[in-house]
Amino acid sequence: MPRTPPPLRLRDLAVTSPGGRALLTLPKLAIAPGTATVIRGPSGAGKSTLLMALAGLIRPARGEIRWGETDLAALPEPAIARFRRETLGFVFQDHMLFEELSAAENASLAALYAPKAARAGLAARSEALLTRLGLGARGARRVDSFSGGERQRIAVARALATDPPILLADEPTASLDRANADRLVADLMSLARDGGKTVIAVSHDPALIAAADRVLHIEDGALRPESARV
Amino acid sequence: MLRRDFLSSCLGTGLSTALPLGLLPGALRAEAAPLKLRELYNKDKSFSGIALGLEGKPLTVEGFMAPPLKADSTFFVLTKMPMSVCPFCETEADWPADILAIYTRRTFRTVSYSRKIEVSGLLELGPFRDPDTGFLSRVRLTGAHFDIA
Amino acid sequence: MFNALWHSLPLWAQDGAIALALLAPALLQAPLILRGYRLGPLLRGLLRRHAGLSLVFILLIATSVAIGAAITAQERALRQGSARAADKFDLIVAAPGSEITAMLAAVYLQPSALPLIDGETFAEIAATEQVALAAPIAFGDSWQGAPIVGSTAEFVTHLAETLAEGRLFESTEEAVVGAGVPLEIGARFTPAHGHGVADAAEAHDVAYEVVGRMPRTGSPWDKALIVPVEAVWGVHGLADGHGPDWDGTLGPPFDPSRFPGTPAVLIRASSLWANYALQRAFTTERTMAFFPGNVLSRLHAIMGDLRQILSVVALLTQVLVTAAVLAGLMMLTRLLARRLALLRALGAPRRFIFALTWSFAGSLILAGTALGLLLGLIAARILSGMITARTDVLVTAHLGWPELHLVAGFVSLTLSLALIPAALTIRRPVIADLRL
Ligand SMILES: Nc1ncnc2c1ncn2[C@@H]1O[C@H](COP(=O)(O)OP(=O)(O)OP(=O)(O)O)[C@@H](O)[C@H]1O
Ligand SMILES: [Mg+2]
Repeated sequence: MPRTPPPLRLRDLAVTSPGGRALLTLPKLAIAPGTATVIRGPSGAGKSTLLMALAGLIRPARGEIRWGETDLAALPEPAIARFRRETLGFVFQDHMLFEELSAAENASLAALYAPKAARAGLAARSEALLTRLGLGARGARRVDSFSGGERQRIAVARALATDPPILLADEPTASLDRANADRLVADLMSLARDGGKTVIAVSHDPALIAAADRVLHIEDGALRPESARV
Repeated sequence: MLRRDFLSSCLGTGLSTALPLGLLPGALRAEAAPLKLRELYNKDKSFSGIALGLEGKPLTVEGFMAPPLKADSTFFVLTKMPMSVCPFCETEADWPADILAIYTRRTFRTVSYSRKIEVSGLLELGPFRDPDTGFLSRVRLTGAHFDIA
Repeated sequence: MFNALWHSLPLWAQDGAIALALLAPALLQAPLILRGYRLGPLLRGLLRRHAGLSLVFILLIATSVAIGAAITAQERALRQGSARAADKFDLIVAAPGSEITAMLAAVYLQPSALPLIDGETFAEIAATEQVALAAPIAFGDSWQGAPIVGSTAEFVTHLAETLAEGRLFESTEEAVVGAGVPLEIGARFTPAHGHGVADAAEAHDVAYEVVGRMPRTGSPWDKALIVPVEAVWGVHGLADGHGPDWDGTLGPPFDPSRFPGTPAVLIRASSLWANYALQRAFTTERTMAFFPGNVLSRLHAIMGDLRQILSVVALLTQVLVTAAVLAGLMMLTRLLARRLALLRALGAPRRFIFALTWSFAGSLILAGTALGLLLGLIAARILSGMITARTDVLVTAHLGWPELHLVAGFVSLTLSLALIPAALTIRRPVIADLRL
């Protein structure tokens, strides 16, 4: 039963470094539910910072990060963790898998701490995802025997195993060659679209940009004016 | 009474034994005031009414631990007076009546013969030869444990 | 009230309750921490990933637990073994001197030259009303290093109750041997004077025939060869203890004027209280009387004090090792930090991270403790074996409740201490750790 994603609204957002330097300033941004958005911009622009803030991993100095009614900026740490656990899927730039676990164990990692009732569904879904991503037969193998593209696909399976309404991805294709990147983008987008998910990805990948509903440009910690429009 | 007072003064430790029980702090006493060894016997060395009435029942007796005959054992002899302190005080004739065989539940650490202890256990009357040590006793406390009074 | 209830419990229930109470902190916190999570796969993964370091921690914990457990188990075994070996020796009378030396000589057959008790004194002892058994213990000679002791048939009966083999000696050329003596019934042996190296020149020109064997007692008497005391006197060219018209019947009564002496006399009193009366009666200018059990329990008390000091030292090493392990764990949590941060970034609850770190430490502690108990038992067994081989006092070490209590307390304490690194991990910054 796919859940409908909440709309995203940022207001008066400011993220600063621990030293107090402004990293990101966003007066206003709204992202409609069920759309695919790509964030691009030069290195050090603040793309990852934005994504982390959207996931509640960075607490802004001021402003609101509203997913529906939930303002992550005002939520205590355990509630943010719960939000991440229940509503978000995250794909990291360099896959970040547990090398000592199998592909299936990585994909269904959330089952280790999910409520008992949800475990069976989670395991089934992660297995189905691995199959869909072409890794079904090798689920029992340890991750350290997989290639970079395969690992990134396992990371996608892990991000989607909880069937989250929102998927955040930070340069998911950065470490992949063209063919692998294309394949991952195709998989990612079809899986997300199937479930009516909101996708926000940091990427320079032309395939991903082509598939997106909207592209945001970030430079020097600020949104370029033209990208604020839908 | 007269005799005990004499012994007490001879031992020089009469103060605590001569104190009326009512003056003892309540916490030091068990449910019932500890019995004196003497109270188990009549003058003619037969068992007293108290002893016969308490046979098979739990009771607490106060006395002193005689130097143990066996190491690391569950057996010792409780005496009315501290042993080896006042060799002139006791005559051999008093001995059988003034000692009580104690069988503890656990092996115990020897307590100095001059420290008064309170032993609780079940009173057993009648002759019994310990199969392990061969010691014969007429009265015993079994399943006993003790505290320093 | 509580006291009465406590003392009415069976011993195992008391010991079990103490163990449970000591384990309670661990048993109570574990389900609270672990409830609802499946830590197995990650925990196994982490342990495998840091196998070398984990092994070092486990061995450190195991060593410290082993030392603690071995000390208490060994002390108890020593106490029980030495007490059992002295069981048959109620009251010893010897010439005034050191009680410990006399006890070592008469009970544990450790050779030493003691002054003799003369015939008149012995006769006086034997004639005392409350004395049920008065047996000379005349040690001094040996055969291949094993002590030869002169005594009476009654003594052998007292010591062995029933012989394992053969019969009691009936003439001065016969002997009854301990269970551990490598001589068959019917074999002959020649005594050597004293306990020196078996030297032909020093050997007496008499031979005994083994006619009986005692059952195993777990004491140095298992190595002893018991002969009639008259034979010991005879071998040394002394009077035979009996008058001129002796018919050759061994044992008491002896003729005081023809009694060459004995270094020690074992006494059994006819009643319990008489032990104390006799002890007093024979504490004179010419003799001392003592209960080996009492001397031994005084030695045990000293040993117990030493053990307590050692236990404190052992406990201290345990605490130090634990502290070292926890410090190591703090470092390890830094090593684990990236993986833990990843879990948190994925939305794992903080308690899950806490539980993972805590159970990682707990696995090391439990594995180390279990291994430590085993090592402690093995160490105590080896030590016991060495002591038995040297003294012939059967010492057998077992793990008992005291060790379990020690370990239960240790586990509770260290698992509680492991809460610290666990609490620290969940306070680490997620993003910074993720970038590690
Ligand atoms: N914890 C921090 N302390 C100080 N500066 C930080 C911190 N985190 C990020 N920054 C700075 O913030 C800026 C934005 O960083 P961010 O990681 O968002 O860049 P990015 O757009 O993702 O770049 P890239 O394409 O290279 O990944 C950079 O200048 C970075 O150095
Ligand atoms: Mg980045």
